[in-house]
Order: sequence, then structure tokens, then C-alpha cells
Amino acid sequence: MENNKDVERRNETYADKASTKIWLETPSNDNPYLAEHCYCHGYDLNELMQNISFVEMLYLLFRGELPNKDEAKLLEMFMVSAINPGPRHAATRAAMNAGVSKSNSSHILPIALMTLGGDHLGAAEVEPAMRFLRKHLKQSPAAVIDTLLMQLDEKSDAVNDVHLAPGFGARFNGVDPLPNQFAQHLASMPGAGKSLAWGCEFAAKLKDHHMGWLHTGLAAAVFADLGFQPRAAAGLYQLCLAPGLVAHGVEQSNKKLTDMPFIKDENYFIDYED
Amino acid sequence: MKTDTHFWDQRRNTITSSKGGWKVGEAVYNHRYSMMDDLVGQKSYMQVMILNATGRLPERRLADWFEARQICMSWPDSRIWCNQIGALAGSMRTSVVAATVAGVLGADSRAYGGSKTVIAGLEFIQHAYALLTQGWTVEAIVDDECAKHGGKPHIMGYARPIAKGDERIPAMQKVSAQLGFEVGPHLQLAYQIEQVLIERYDERMNINGYVSAFLSDQGLTPEEVYRISATLVASGVTACYVDAVEKQPESFLPLRCDDVQYQGKAPRPLPKAKNEERPFRVVAYTGR
Repeated sequence: MENNKDVERRNETYADKASTKIWLETPSNDNPYLAEHCYCHGYDLNELMQNISFVEMLYLLFRGELPNKDEAKLLEMFMVSAINPGPRHAATRAAMNAGVSKSNSSHILPIALMTLGGDHLGAAEVEPAMRFLRKHLKQSPAAVIDTLLMQLDEKSDAVNDVHLAPGFGARFNGVDPLPNQFAQHLASMPGAGKSLAWGCEFAAKLKDHHMGWLHTGLAAAVFADLGFQPRAAAGLYQLCLAPGLVAHGVEQSNKKLTDMPFIKDENYFIDYED
Repeated sequence: MKTDTHFWDQRRNTITSSKGGWKVGEAVYNHRYSMMDDLVGQKSYMQVMILNATGRLPERRLADWFEARQICMSWPDSRIWCNQIGALAGSMRTSVVAATVAGVLGADSRAYGGSKTVIAGLEFIQHAYALLTQGWTVEAIVDDECAKHGGKPHIMGYARPIAKGDERIPAMQKVSAQLGFEVGPHLQLAYQIEQVLIERYDERMNINGYVSAFLSDQGLTPEEVYRISATLVASGVTACYVDAVEKQPESFLPLRCDDVQYQGKAPRPLPKAKNEERPFRVVAYTGR
């Protein structure tokens, strides 16, 4: 075997240990691999579990401090509204397919979350939507729409369901009512901030163009107003929708393979398009 | 007025595939080929995989070249990030499929892995070649690219983490020669760029640079190569999973509590809720 003399080690310095600002584990006296106490941003997990809600804990985990009453209420309201994307959503359908076809139960959620990872109405749209909101908050929504529509006219490939900006656009050729209803409620809450307010104004002006809030945009505005980092947005969005995905997948896993449609031969067409 | 939804109405309960499908009792079709008559036993797995990713059945030698590259890009060293995911999954007794898929997903990275990074690699060399044909010098192309990164030689396809140089390039050069591939214009330019980087920064081409230039000479687009590369690291991840799953659970790189460095806030008391400042205060469980 020849040695590869042309390959040299860089001798970069790698850390001796992984590091974190989130979580401290103190060992038990007799076993250094077992934690006796855990602290989340300095607070003892034993105390947290007895005194705060799951939503407050989630906020603490990502922001490093506990939310105030208004912030916690805003996050909880959004999480309730987002808990289930419903049985027609592609990610839910992926979970249902996995369930009815008897995939391992522990695979249902990862399968659904991977499907939810896309940048069209999926988790990967939320971060750009947060950046879009941050960038345009000081501009007039009408002026932003004019500019974006002008740019859209220059694109020839836009056909159906245009997302004029990440998180805002059309679904099935229309304005999706639910995120627009939810946005009105959330924007009226004391914990709401500039992103929800600007987004509502932007969405109202988009109505003339048959567009509005998309669910990803609403999530982005809530996360932005709560001060979450854009890089956390995709994962937070996946977390918020996860319960509904699992529930629908598990429901189908108790059924027969024939309990979901299998497209008939006469409805399956092969068209090579040339 | 009712919204016009006829585009979606036409597609309800119907699938129209431009790739193929199973006509029960007739044949399984794949891009106009009958799978059982034209492909099984006739073409290599890599040829059919590339057909599925690009819509075109490649000549056998290009598929063989891709197979050699696939071997190059997936090795059983569980220090590599995607492989470590596989090993950790083995340590948790995850299924081999979940472990391998998780590792493959880990390598869908903007930093390494040869799948997503190859998009930037092909885009760079194809852009550089376009500049060359417009009369740019190789030095000017390097200057222009370095200027985008604060004057540093951060060019996709050159330099790599951990080591300088890349043992996979001579291996693939040998494969290319054995299969009768000539050095094309993109690869020629890639070597010229490497020469400038060696002289100026002591940095060399990496496997991504070689692959990107070679495949640009074969007429493939960045997106096509990304699609062909979707499961590039799979077999190395599987190997690392198997290594871990055959050993004691939780025995792969075990960590003591103090093996993780804590840099956060010191332990502190939980603030008392003031006038329902925190809304969801729950009653402490006091036991029965």
C-alpha cells in the first residue's frame, strides 16, 4: 500500500470538548456519567418542572430567559393554532402513508418532518420569511409590494400560487383564510410586535392581488416578535406542527393498507412530455 | 365570484408521471424503457440510478466513473460528521435504515459531503470557464473569486478541512484514464486555477473541484449532479452504524457530565411570579 505523501494534516486546533450555554449537568457523586441535576440557562430543571409551563420552558430554552406573561401567551396561542397542519397537508400525508404502510412507529415523525423541510410552505420558508420581515419593517408595505410585483413580472416561470415574498402569497389561486384569521388575533395580543403589525398591513394590501399571509409567514412574524433567531425558525416550525403529524400517522397505522386510496390504473397516466 | 381552481380540479385522484410506472399485467416502465426487458441484467445499477436522476441513460463508462466516485466519497471513519450520526444511531439501537438516512441527511451540508457542495463546485467552474472564454486570465478569475471572500482563497473545490491535498484525486484520475476519458476544457482550467492557488496560498484542489470540472466536461448541470449524489455517503454511514450496533449500547464515545463545557449562566434561583407575570404557574406536585 502506498502512502499518500501529497496529503498533509493541517493541524488545525479542534476543541477538546463540545460547549454549550444552554444546559449544565452536574454529576452524581458515585457516577460521573449520570447527572444528578440539570440546569437550563441556570435554572434547576426540578424547579422548572414544578413552576413553569411547557411554553415558558420552550421560550427559555431558545432565548435564555423566561418570557413575560404577554410573550408566553403569544407563543402559546400560535402553538395551539399550529399544532396540526391537517390531513391534506403534504407532511401529514407523508406521516399517514408511513402509518398505513406499517413503517416503524418511530419513523413516522422523522418522515413527516423531512417532508415538512421544504421551502414551499415548509420549514425552510420560515427563516427567509423572518429575514424578509426584518429587512422591510421600516418600509411602506405598499411600496414593497410594488417593487416585488415589478420583479415578478420579469420572471417568466411563475405560474400558479406565487409567493410574492417568503411567507406571503396565494394558495390554490386564493387567499388562505386561516393564517389570515389567526394573524388578526395574534396581532391584537399585547405580546405582538412590529412584525405581526407590518405583516397584517402587507397582507391586507396583497388582498387586491389574491394573496395574503401564508402559514409560514405567520410563524415567521410570531418568532420574530418573540426575538427568536432566524436560524432557529425551521426547527421551531417543525416542533410546532409535529404533534398533528404524529397523531395522523399513528391513527393510520392502526388501519388496513386498503383503508387509504391507491390510485387506480385508469387514473395513472404516463406522459413523457415529448 | 368563485375562485378558479380548475388547475387543481384536473389533478384530483389522478397521477400523471413523466418518468414511468407500473402497468399491472403489462410492464414496469422507466423513461420509455421496459424495466424487466431493457434494464434488469442489461444495464448497471448506476446507469439506472442516473437515468432516474436525470432522465437520460448514460453510457456505461460514465456510470462506472460515478460508481468509483461513490466509493471515494463514503468511507467508514466514524469521526466524519455524517458517519458519526450513523454510529450514534447504532449506539441507540436505531434501525439501520433510519441511521443511514439520518447520516445521508447530515451530509446534505453546505460545508462537506459532496452532495450540496457539488452544486457550488460546478457553478464555480462553469462560471470560471465562461469568464475564460470571454478573455479573462486565470489569475484574474482567482482574484475575482477571492475578492468575494475578503481576499481569502475560499473557492469551492479547493482546500479542505483537516488536511491539505486530496488522496481521492489521483485515484479518480486513474479511473478516468482507465475508462478512456480525456482531460476536457473545464478540468484543464481547474488544474490551472490549482496552480495559481498553490503558488499564492499553498492550497490545492479537493475532490469536489476535480469532480465538478470533470462532470462539467460531461455536460451535466449542477442540479443534475446534486440529484445523482443524493445518497453519496450512505455506505460509510451504514458501516459506522454496524460498528456501533455490534458493540455495547451507549458505548460509542461516551461522555461524562464534565466532558461538555458549560459556558452559560451560573445556577440561579427561579424568580417568583409577580402578579401573574408568568401566566401558567402550575401547582407543585407534593406527592400523595
